[in-house]
Amino acid sequence: MNAAISVEYLRKVYRGGFEALAGISLEVPRGSVFGLLGPNGAGKSTLVKSLLTILRPTACRGELLGEPIGHRATLGKVGYLPEHAAFPGYLTGAQVVEFSAGLAKVPRAAAKRRTAECLERVGMAAWAGKRVATYSKGMKQRVGLAQALVNDPELVFLDEPTDGVDPEGRYAIRRLIESMRAEGKTVFVNSHLLAEVEQMADEVAILAKGRIVARGKVAELTRQGHRYEIRTQGPVPLSLREAFAAKGWETAGDRVAVEAPNAAAVQPAIDALRAADVVIRGVTESRRSLEELFLDAVGANGNLNGKGGAA
Amino acid sequence: MSVFWVLMVDSLRLLRARALFWITLAISGLAALMYVSIGFTPTGMSLGFGAAEIKSEVLRAGAPAVELFYLGMFNKLIVGIWLSWVAIGLALISCAPVFPDFMAEGSIGIPLSKPVPRLVLFLYKYLGALLFVVAQVGLFCVLVFFAVRWRVGTWNPSVFWAVPLVTLVFSYLYSVVVLVAVRTRSVLAAILAGVLVWFVSWVGQKGEEVLYQLAYVGAPHGMAAGAGDADLQRWHRSSVALMAFLPKTGETVNLLDRCVVVGGKAGLSNGRLVAQVFGDRANGGEEVDRAMSRHSPWYVIGTSLGFEAVMLGLAAWRFCRRDF
Repeated sequence: MNAAISVEYLRKVYRGGFEALAGISLEVPRGSVFGLLGPNGAGKSTLVKSLLTILRPTACRGELLGEPIGHRATLGKVGYLPEHAAFPGYLTGAQVVEFSAGLAKVPRAAAKRRTAECLERVGMAAWAGKRVATYSKGMKQRVGLAQALVNDPELVFLDEPTDGVDPEGRYAIRRLIESMRAEGKTVFVNSHLLAEVEQMADEVAILAKGRIVARGKVAELTRQGHRYEIRTQGPVPLSLREAFAAKGWETAGDRVAVEAPNAAAVQPAIDALRAADVVIRGVTESRRSLEELFLDAVGANGNLNGKGGAA
Repeated sequence: MSVFWVLMVDSLRLLRARALFWITLAISGLAALMYVSIGFTPTGMSLGFGAAEIKSEVLRAGAPAVELFYLGMFNKLIVGIWLSWVAIGLALISCAPVFPDFMAEGSIGIPLSKPVPRLVLFLYKYLGALLFVVAQVGLFCVLVFFAVRWRVGTWNPSVFWAVPLVTLVFSYLYSVVVLVAVRTRSVLAAILAGVLVWFVSWVGQKGEEVLYQLAYVGAPHGMAAGAGDADLQRWHRSSVALMAFLPKTGETVNLLDRCVVVGGKAGLSNGRLVAQVFGDRANGGEEVDRAMSRHSPWYVIGTSLGFEAVMLGLAAWRFCRRDF
């Protein structure tokens, strides 16, 4: 079994009839970093909570680490950092992590050792004995990450892990996620911060209105919008514009944009321009960013800026 | 590390962090100190570690009534008023936020995502809150235990019966608080519900007690009704039937009278206590004792635990079924 998460069908309808997840299916390979993107209210947190039994799906078929979703013992191999994680202010950072270890049934001696290791790993060792109430938002998030890792999980769910964290902290969290992947862990990241997900995720899925509207490897998805842009000295002659438009090339002022998977496909445009004595100033290659992909996918589903419902 | 241990340790940390816990403990300590300060001299009773003395033939060192009086004060004043009313009230206020805090967004996700059944989490969290009362009453009883040895001269471990009995009373009421807290996540609503049930239960018990007195013992203070009145007995039976569904807070605490050992025998006689302290004015002491023990401990605790089980069952069902 290569999939860490294999959801055949997952639907969640809240009381009152709101459909948060409209029967999605999803597969996350083991050892990968998977990014789940979506606007607020798309159903990202609902999906994670359903997989972790924090809420009860209306219908659910699938497996988590090879066991049916909801199999309680399997949760011992899972780590979770919730969105807006809140820890009791009276506990120290070390106590928060030990508490999580205890609930995950980590033996006492191992829990102590792992707690120290995890706090060290997230850069909180010096603050381990201080109360959480004295921590900044970023420090709480780091402790949250430490508690998610204390049981040495095979699969880690991180719900908006960089929320409220400063740039330095975000970088550290990205590095941490990459190190988890290097250890063979599967990391499932829920986020609306596209640039970050783009940097670290192997695969992404875009969720809008409870439906997955796009998914795949980041490179493949962004390759779909692979294009070349030719800049000319002066505007493109009108005589060429019609011919270019017929081939699906966009022309505007001194630019010709050609969507093509490789450079060979753009050569006829260059030849046509040169044949018309047009001076070419430059040719640039560009990919669609994940952000453009996201906006297209979500916008096509009418969910942009729309509060689809519960997160 | 067992889940039970983890949640108990967490509960202790939570208690330690609550100011009300320390305030209650401090007042309890003060009450215990006042209790310890009562001593007996060859001529009477001393207060404030000898700061004041009340001359008495009955209550003096070596007199037979001393042990009964000293333990009676523990049962009636310390446990009967302080522990079973004020301390429990403060414990309810202090522990009411336990479940709403536990179920708060961002807080509940981590425990629920662990390989621990929700029912186990719920029950251990509930038991953890009971530690508030166990710790308070337990520490208090330790002080009383040594005070009795010092002032009366006997080791009397039966005073520790106060720990389970007061904890039981708290647990009946706390089950209501938990049910409302799980349903509404509102601390205020939970406290109000707990206090309401406490009040209704107290009124019900008092009503049933008065009806018992009128129907079977005789009308106090020259009231018209007399023993054997069929109507009153019917009314009393109705009140007993009604009360069967409610927790018996007062009666549970009163069971301490039957558990405390005085003069080598289990059972503190209210009649004898009043008679020894107040002499002839204490007519009808046996009737008082009979009224106080009209229900068996099995009935008192059993029906109350039945109520608690229903409340907890509903709360647990709600906790296990709801989405977080």
